[in-house]
Amino acid sequence: MVEQDIIRMVNEVFNESFEIPEDKLVPGANIFNDLGLDSLDIVDLVVALQKKFAVTIRDDERVRTIRTLGDIHNFIQLIKKENKK
Amino acid sequence: MIRFLKLAYLNFTFYLFFILFSSAAVTSCGVGIVLSALVLSRRRVLRLLRRVICWYGTVIIRILPFPLVRIRYTNYASGEDQGPFIFVCNHRSSSDPFLMAGPCRPYECIQVVNVWPFRLPVLGLVAKIAGYLSVREMPFEDFLKTTSKLLAEGVSVIVFPEGTRSRDNSVGQFHSAIFRVALQTQRPIVPLCITGNERIPPVGSGILEPGIIKINRLKAVPWETYRTFTPFKLKNFVRGMIIQEVAAMEKAL
Repeated sequence: MVEQDIIRMVNEVFNESFEIPEDKLVPGANIFNDLGLDSLDIVDLVVALQKKFAVTIRDDERVRTIRTLGDIHNFIQLIKKENKK
Repeated sequence: MIRFLKLAYLNFTFYLFFILFSSAAVTSCGVGIVLSALVLSRRRVLRLLRRVICWYGTVIIRILPFPLVRIRYTNYASGEDQGPFIFVCNHRSSSDPFLMAGPCRPYECIQVVNVWPFRLPVLGLVAKIAGYLSVREMPFEDFLKTTSKLLAEGVSVIVFPEGTRSRDNSVGQFHSAIFRVALQTQRPIVPLCITGNERIPPVGSGILEPGIIKINRLKAVPWETYRTFTPFKLKNFVRGMIIQEVAAMEKAL
């Protein structure tokens, strides 16, 4: 899966699950301050990402370090790579 | 010079009477509540205590700082009676919780607060006994269970979903916990918009400044309106209503 596909699919998750408009979905956007998610929304986000990418990230400690949309793109890319191995 | 004198007068008289009134109120009401607990059911005692807290708040914010601090309350939901409600307020000042008696009357209410109000001497203990909730100290499942039970008993819930006071008068991002409760319990949500008390007192200070506090109670958002919303959409929907009203209130000042 190429980076552009990951970005598109992550953005789709934000659009479908949270109805956040495309123009706000820039890699530097802070998911808490700029996009308005809170800790409970993160649970919903994780569930939606797991479904979209067919991965298990719920218990991954690295989720806690995510702050920006760009962090999510990188994290999903990393998970995908790890799953390939 | 006149400003300084007003400030000195306001703070001296307010804090003097605050201490005197609070001491008298806590002592006399404390005795009253303990005595009533001997003859009334726990439910009725709690109802009484919550009413007493309401009156205490009214005296503290409406009477003690008057006439240098005035309150103007507008109710756009006049005639509406389908409580209990979930009252959702913007949060600018530590005086916000004291302002709730007016807009939330005649409903029996509890407030969802941050950790610090529970650490206040005496008042924190009274809030705890009255069933006020410290949302940061409880898992969401417990919060959902407790608030659902309260709403089912007819107790309205007052929430400041920004979680902390605004530092620049903007309305901060909302936490979704109470909106998840609303979706589950199907109770109407009443947005309360507060302006004018950002310096009564300012963040990080205890000094009250003279001013006019405006509170606008908007029409309730019924379950039928938000039933298809996600928690995220619902919190931003209500936040949008509050932002719009607060902007209009500030423009009118």
